[in-house]
Amino acid sequence: MRRLISGMIGLSMLLGGCATTSQENISRLDLIKKRNELICGVSGKIPGFSFMGSDGSYQGLDVDICKAFAAAFLGDASKVQYRPLTAAERFTAIKTGEIDLLSRNTTFTLSRDSSAGNGLSFAPVVFHDGQGLMVKRESQITNIKGLANKSICVGSGTTTEQNINDAFESQSLPYQPIKYQDLNQVVAGYLQGRCSAMTSDRSQLAAARSGFKNPEDHIILDDVLSKEPLAPASDGRDFLLADAMRWVIFSLISAEEQGITKANILEKVKFATDNPQLKPLRRFLGIEGDLGEKIGLGNDFVVKVISSTGNYGEIYNRHLGSNSEVPIPRGLNNLYTNGGVHIAPPFN
Amino acid sequence: MIKFTRNIKRTLSINLFNGLLTLAILLIIGLGFIFTLNWLIFSANWKVVTLNLPLYAFGSFPVDQRWRPALWIISLLSLSVITLIGPNRKWLRKSLPLAWIATLPLGIYLLSGGLGLPMVMSRHWGGLSLTILLTECSLLFALPLGIFLALGRQSELPLVKTLSSIYIDSMRAVPLIAVLFFGQLLIPLFLPIGVEIDRVWRAIFAFTLFVSAYIAEDIRGGLQAIPNTQIEAAATLGLNQFQITHFILIPQALRIALPALTNQAIGLFQNTSLMAILGLIELLGIGRSLLANPEFIGRYIEVYIWLASVYWLFCTFMAVLARHLEKRLAIQKTNI
Amino acid sequence: MSKKLTYQIVVLFLLAILLSILINNLSINLSRSGLQLSFSWLLRPASFALAENPLPYSPSDTYAWALFMGWLNSLKVILSSLILATFIGVFIGIVRTVGNSVLGFLAAIYITLIRQTPLLLQLMFWYFVAFLGLKDSIFMPIKGMISISNKGIEFLGLSLSSEFSALLFGLSVFTGAYIAEVVRGGILSVSRGQWEAFRSLGFSEINGLFKIIIPQALPAIIPGLTSQYLNLAKNSTLAIAVGYSDIYAINDTVINQTGRTIESFIILLSSFFLLNLLISNLMEVINKITLNSKKI
Repeated sequence: MRRLISGMIGLSMLLGGCATTSQENISRLDLIKKRNELICGVSGKIPGFSFMGSDGSYQGLDVDICKAFAAAFLGDASKVQYRPLTAAERFTAIKTGEIDLLSRNTTFTLSRDSSAGNGLSFAPVVFHDGQGLMVKRESQITNIKGLANKSICVGSGTTTEQNINDAFESQSLPYQPIKYQDLNQVVAGYLQGRCSAMTSDRSQLAAARSGFKNPEDHIILDDVLSKEPLAPASDGRDFLLADAMRWVIFSLISAEEQGITKANILEKVKFATDNPQLKPLRRFLGIEGDLGEKIGLGNDFVVKVISSTGNYGEIYNRHLGSNSEVPIPRGLNNLYTNGGVHIAPPFN
Repeated sequence: MIKFTRNIKRTLSINLFNGLLTLAILLIIGLGFIFTLNWLIFSANWKVVTLNLPLYAFGSFPVDQRWRPALWIISLLSLSVITLIGPNRKWLRKSLPLAWIATLPLGIYLLSGGLGLPMVMSRHWGGLSLTILLTECSLLFALPLGIFLALGRQSELPLVKTLSSIYIDSMRAVPLIAVLFFGQLLIPLFLPIGVEIDRVWRAIFAFTLFVSAYIAEDIRGGLQAIPNTQIEAAATLGLNQFQITHFILIPQALRIALPALTNQAIGLFQNTSLMAILGLIELLGIGRSLLANPEFIGRYIEVYIWLASVYWLFCTFMAVLARHLEKRLAIQKTNI
Repeated sequence: MSKKLTYQIVVLFLLAILLSILINNLSINLSRSGLQLSFSWLLRPASFALAENPLPYSPSDTYAWALFMGWLNSLKVILSSLILATFIGVFIGIVRTVGNSVLGFLAAIYITLIRQTPLLLQLMFWYFVAFLGLKDSIFMPIKGMISISNKGIEFLGLSLSSEFSALLFGLSVFTGAYIAEVVRGGILSVSRGQWEAFRSLGFSEINGLFKIIIPQALPAIIPGLTSQYLNLAKNSTLAIAVGYSDIYAINDTVINQTGRTIESFIILLSSFFLLNLLISNLMEVINKITLNSKKI
């Protein structure tokens, strides 16, 4: 009996010891490479950003960002596992390691970035959005004041919920929020007349409206309630992964600045290889220098990314361009040279 | 004589009232039926169902591999039919329980692949096949755990008894969605770094924890229904505690608890739909995803009616199967 | 040492090992993500509005107060569904046992439809189809007394939101089907002789049923009823699917805004234990009253 007890004490100490000594400083990036697959948290329910098509595959801008990461980290854009997450689940999913990173219409804010808040780390903004309000044309409401004492459909657990509150409270307007778990239910509530208006990011309003039977019967008010810079996010403790993500996004923007596209990338590589004097281009494409290695990736990560997803502009046009199913004018999301705000720091 | 006429009067008036009531109800049913039929045929747009049948069945399982979940579902259905018909050959009947248990590894193998089949990650599992997998897996894991807990609660060891009771009572006090939430979002916090359990398996784990507490109570009911004299008789025959439990108590308790266990199984099948709220794309989840598709926006009634009929069919089928089993077990009992 | 004691020590040790590993992992994971367990955030302003609050609430109130509103909302929908479900259940249970055959057939259809489909699906049906499906038309079965629209139900000055109403009807109709079976079982447990007896005494069917049969069936009904009530309370957490701000839905929002998953989960569980305690104590009292009245 005594033997048994002492044996058990030994065993418990052994097991306890195992747990404490497990490595704390492994970067998620190594884990992704070891797993040979990227687990990307997406919404799965927003047309144009991440959306399940009839063949069961995900498409959209957020999804292509996941693909770009997979191409950079693993050399293969198809090695992504998409996790559809609700707004409320997403941060816990990062914290618990359920997903590697989040590419899910997430607004970059101070409290989400800070270690005392959600403790995330944000990659550069991939879509500049702003929260808006959509109403039925026949209601003849033209601005936020017209919505006093009306009910408004909101997605719960999002910044949307706080912004609408701030906007109405600052003008001392009473309102009634009807909260749903996801955007698709918000749309349902609005269309079925439960609320006089629905609020969400203007891109999502446009995306939702494009699917309505008579899109022209609905108008998006001019009031912009907030800035909504949407960016991919990862665990704030993991600097290596955050760096890698940051520069993958910048490479998409930089490629557009330099006119490098999916179609001409191989040509550009050949051109740069043949012309040793084109230093910046050679560095960008990884023909010389070790920029990729510095962030834990292959030196040719840009080539891998652009040849699988194309540059930022190509991704944008594919899902949100004027010929897409969810046309949203580029506006702020243009390059800085075209009146937008997207700009990439130098690849030096 | 007076009493007789009064009785006749009473019966007549009741019959008259009854007849009028019946007529009124029949009229309402008829009107409702015509209205529904009219809607079903002329107003409803069933494209949201017909165009997406493979999605409802298999989720986003790769198209060229869809035969795998299909094969699994077909094998389950055919096994059910065999069970229903009740084969006359004894060896076939004896091997039925084993065959049922074998469908689980078969299903996991067919869905996940390996050993010659291409691997399919669990994120591609979905629709009805995922619903069935969640149900069957959780049920088969919860049954032994439930028996264990039920025996624990009846145990003579005070510690084991207390622990089992605490587990069962607290599990039965919390809502299922909280347990599932725990499974999806909190389990990873209790695992060592670098260890991951797949999302589907975490759901199965949570369902197992939840259902086993309910199964334990059903089986405890069964155990309590067994007369003490049987245990005494077995003990005088020289059977030890383990043998008594294994050969006398459990089989009888299971037989007595079968109707209650069936209800648990049906309840579990329905409750897998809660995973739609927590992000798995099972049968109801597929419906919700499709309703977000601009092409099918606003087609709630069609999708919900379709899903309700699928759930109804499966649940009713399970109930019929169980009732059949009950009858057969009862017959066997009288034979003994 | 006796064999029994040894077994118990083994069990205790295994449990202690398991717990220590889990807690150890948890503390490592928490310190790694920089989240220490704390409840001080409960006193910070919630800054989200609620559609329904039984007591005065504004977004500048604390998280704790917002959660309490959620708990009250839960209690509100549970108690009202409990009453409605009991009415439905008793009515259907009686119809199934003694009613007209067509009515009995209808009741049987109702029970199989409700019991063999998921509650979540039923709730969505009630909300998105039954209530929101009304679009902008207003349905007035009795003019001036009751009006039903996609905004909810107005009944003699009492106004219920459509979220609350959908949940109320969904839960009541669902639980009613289960209560009906409990009631039926209870009525059938009363011996046939009692029926013959009151009939020969000249009681009408309805009168006899309520005065003679049901009082005798109550002891058999109440335990089943209690467990159905507890189920109803647990099922009310599906409110989140129809946009009603119950305790689970508000917890969901709070977790998203604060990232305090574990603390919120603990709060959720304790509020449920509290609700359970409330209902089972209430039923205990009812049980005692019926037992006493029977003695008299």
